Amino acid sequence: MSALGGAAAGGEGINPTGTLVGIVILLVSIAATYALGFSIIPLIGIIIGGAFVGFGVHFVPVGGAPAAMGQAPGIATGVAMLAAGAGLAGLFGGAWAFEATGDFAIAVAGGAVGGGLMMSITCMMVNATYVFAMGIPAASGKVAKDPITGDTFPEYKSQGTEGHGLPFISFFGGVIGGIVTGLGGTLIYLALLGIYETGLPVIMQAEPAAIQPLAISLAGIFAIGFFLVNAVLAAYNITGTIEGPHDPKFKRVPRAIIGCAVASAFCGFISMLIVLNTGM
Amino acid sequence: MSVKMEASAGKLSENTLMIYGIVVALVGTYLTYLNVVTGIAVFSFFGGIGAIAALWWGSDTIKHLCSYGLGTGVPSAGMVAFGAGAIAMIAGTKFGLASPIVTLVLAAIIGAVIGYCANNIINMNIPVMIFSLMKLSIVGALTMLGFAAMCTGTFMFNGLVIGGMTLSMEPAEVAAGGAQTFMVTVLPEFASSLIGGAALTVIFFLGAIALQHPFNACLGPNESQDRTLMLAIEVGFLSMFVVAVMSYAFLDITSATVGVVVSLIGWVYSYKQYIALSKRDAYAWLDAKPIMEVGGNE
Repeated sequence: MSALGGAAAGGEGINPTGTLVGIVILLVSIAATYALGFSIIPLIGIIIGGAFVGFGVHFVPVGGAPAAMGQAPGIATGVAMLAAGAGLAGLFGGAWAFEATGDFAIAVAGGAVGGGLMMSITCMMVNATYVFAMGIPAASGKVAKDPITGDTFPEYKSQGTEGHGLPFISFFGGVIGGIVTGLGGTLIYLALLGIYETGLPVIMQAEPAAIQPLAISLAGIFAIGFFLVNAVLAAYNITGTIEGPHDPKFKRVPRAIIGCAVASAFCGFISMLIVLNTGM
Repeated sequence: MSVKMEASAGKLSENTLMIYGIVVALVGTYLTYLNVVTGIAVFSFFGGIGAIAALWWGSDTIKHLCSYGLGTGVPSAGMVAFGAGAIAMIAGTKFGLASPIVTLVLAAIIGAVIGYCANNIINMNIPVMIFSLMKLSIVGALTMLGFAAMCTGTFMFNGLVIGGMTLSMEPAEVAAGGAQTFMVTVLPEFASSLIGGAALTVIFFLGAIALQHPFNACLGPNESQDRTLMLAIEVGFLSMFVVAVMSYAFLDITSATVGVVVSLIGWVYSYKQYIALSKRDAYAWLDAKPIMEVGGNE
């Protein structure tokens, strides 16, 4: 039993049986939520937020270990770490905006800006390190021409590498990814906060004002849990590195959206059990 | 990038580890109930021991999952384990004395759903995916429950969300004889509790780092099971030490100090064992000493 298995099979395309079963799990979660007497609007919010997270992670240019050695384009760390960074920054931004204004739209926008800002700072500093410290130009290996600026890459790409640095399209993808994941994380947080702010005072028999810190903490901890689950599912879909929206792997995004929606629906249903009166 | 990692065949099979891990984690968590039975909180550190047992088992499960080459690095498995485990653990604590059992069952169900999403919807097609994510979710949930029980002395929802009580006095009606009476009500304080103060997130990441680190640090051609598992115990005790320091906020000084002492003794012992095992597995080593100052003209 020296080697347990080979490389992950991770084929392209959608598995119809799996997807169908997944959609059944999603619908059953919604039905169970309705049957227990909860409003299904927050659960829909959680599902949409989870799908946003799964979608947004695919935009983030992830290079992994090869990028650290200048042999592949992208930011030199794993998908889950980058997504957690962008999403949690967005989550803090959104939570703070909601605390300050109490307005749903401003809070969601604040989350998106928080995530986008974090990713744009990361991408800029990564490129500064690549260009001025490692001395490598930005060149993509997957496309010959930058779809936005029209810059050509093959002249700058070193032999034997898949490209290096962070071209503009990857930078652009990183910022879009930060915006979308931050938006998704904030949506999940706000949906959970709504459930706990109304549900906890009833079940704990306490004043809504006294229960406020508990509701915020619970929603925050759950949102982090949801976020990491969705980010890792999306990371599994990418299997390693991705350059950004121009990468061929980006075509796999539909199944990540379905997978994240199903996982979010079920986890959202479990998280509502907190405000269910179990009599204990 | 698909790097094939090799998993060593160990003396202990995965099922043996699972049985030990679950039993010790559950027993350890339940032993903290002695706090309620005896009225003193010195038994809280058993929760930490239970959490370390879960981490010990989990680091072996991660090894088997990651040997398939997920392409995302070992840490992602630790993160998804605790993301799912946190949801199961908080929902599970609602069920009173049955909380640890309910937590285990909920975590298994959530892990199965996430594993199904990863394996069949996202098309990973890894034979051990669903079962591994079930186990990892259980590990995450039991670790968080054990550390939370150690930190606060209880594994029940009310103990985790109520930090203390404040008395509020309001003047009531004037009683016969002109004496003023007061109505005293007890108000629970939520912001100073483990969950209300969001100190649970610290436990979340302490556990997640302790779960993903052992295999991430030991993987390679000569990875051996006993060394990886000893590292899991070592980082487990290190996390337990931080939780013990946090427990000064929630427990009395004696009980918290017992936790600190137990975790420090455990950490020193397991660290020495780990260094000894590393030297055993190393090809050669050099006990480097500072460069000696040589006097005279040399």
